[in-house]
Amino acid sequence: MKNLNMSQLFDKLNDVKVLFQYGQKVVPVLQSLVDFMQETVPLLENINHSIADSTAKIPKASDQINNVTNATELATTEILDLVDAISNNVYSIEKKLETVNSAEAKKAELVEKLKAAISGNSEALRLLDEYTEIDSTKKNIDEISQLFPKIKEDSYNITLSLQVQDITSQQLAAVDHLIESVQDKLASLIQDIDDTQIEEFNSAVSAGSGIQAPEGATFDPNASYNMNDNRQDAVDAVINMEKASQAEIDKLFS
Amino acid sequence: MSLKFLVVDDSVTMRRIVANSLKNLGYENMVEAVDGKDALTKLAADAEINFVITDWNMPELTGLELTKAIRADDKYAKLPILMVTTRGVKEDIIEALQAKVSNYVIKPFTPQILKEKIDQILANVQ
Repeated sequence: MKNLNMSQLFDKLNDVKVLFQYGQKVVPVLQSLVDFMQETVPLLENINHSIADSTAKIPKASDQINNVTNATELATTEILDLVDAISNNVYSIEKKLETVNSAEAKKAELVEKLKAAISGNSEALRLLDEYTEIDSTKKNIDEISQLFPKIKEDSYNITLSLQVQDITSQQLAAVDHLIESVQDKLASLIQDIDDTQIEEFNSAVSAGSGIQAPEGATFDPNASYNMNDNRQDAVDAVINMEKASQAEIDKLFS
Repeated sequence: MSLKFLVVDDSVTMRRIVANSLKNLGYENMVEAVDGKDALTKLAADAEINFVITDWNMPELTGLELTKAIRADDKYAKLPILMVTTRGVKEDIIEALQAKVSNYVIKPFTPQILKEKIDQILANVQ
């Protein structure tokens, strides 16, 4: 019985010895872990400050995007005003040229009457013919008039191209929304780490909503500027759930 | 048929472009609204309006909500509504059709497409 107790005691002592031996191996590992943690903490703090700093700057980026949108809208309005002014001027010139044209027609009638009146005077007739030949007013008016449809078409095409402003403003709104979403996430992350309070901001984005446009958003996150008729065809086809002929698409709306 | 258009878009640029396009097509009679809510007010105040061209994404009341609100009133059951929007995904188009838009045009639009869709709608109304 005594031998058995001694044997158990030696076993226990062996266990303790193994534990100490293991401890000797583990202590340096633990020490390096502590060292690593000590080195990492300032780094994490730096990262944290950096994130906080970047997050605080996001409202400014958001403001700048809004400024860009406002500036492009203003510029677009100015361009539209100018195009309207050009169109109005073209219309006025057209009207004036119509008056000049009428006067020219009357003038031509008078020349014919004059020719009849002076039919016996060959010198006067020669001079009148010469005058008629060098008078290019009618020809010039006709040439100028032919330019108007092109000017009108070009002006209208400028107007149509300005649809890009509406589309880019929606794209910018989507980017703005994305930035605010990121700010939301970063702010919540920083708050979780060290209770740092990031300035409250107005965001329509709820936590976890990702980058989808919020309900009732006044922009389309997928807006794109593409003057391709195929896009409308594709939409028409989607309406019909498959590639369809125009007749079939039209039938859908009838 | 004498047409009076109600052009609804929160973008001043788009309102002007649509208005210019309508003028180019020979339609001079029109009023503008800045969003769906404004459109409903103008529609209620003006019995001559007989054609609505609306954007989808707008504050206050979207084009889709506007369409539903219009269709909820029996007297506007056949009022032509043309949706002009950047939204081109299948789900959106189906949703618009379910709300009973008369036709659907993708932005940026061409004058030919706009004319074609207006003509289609008018042909169906007559």
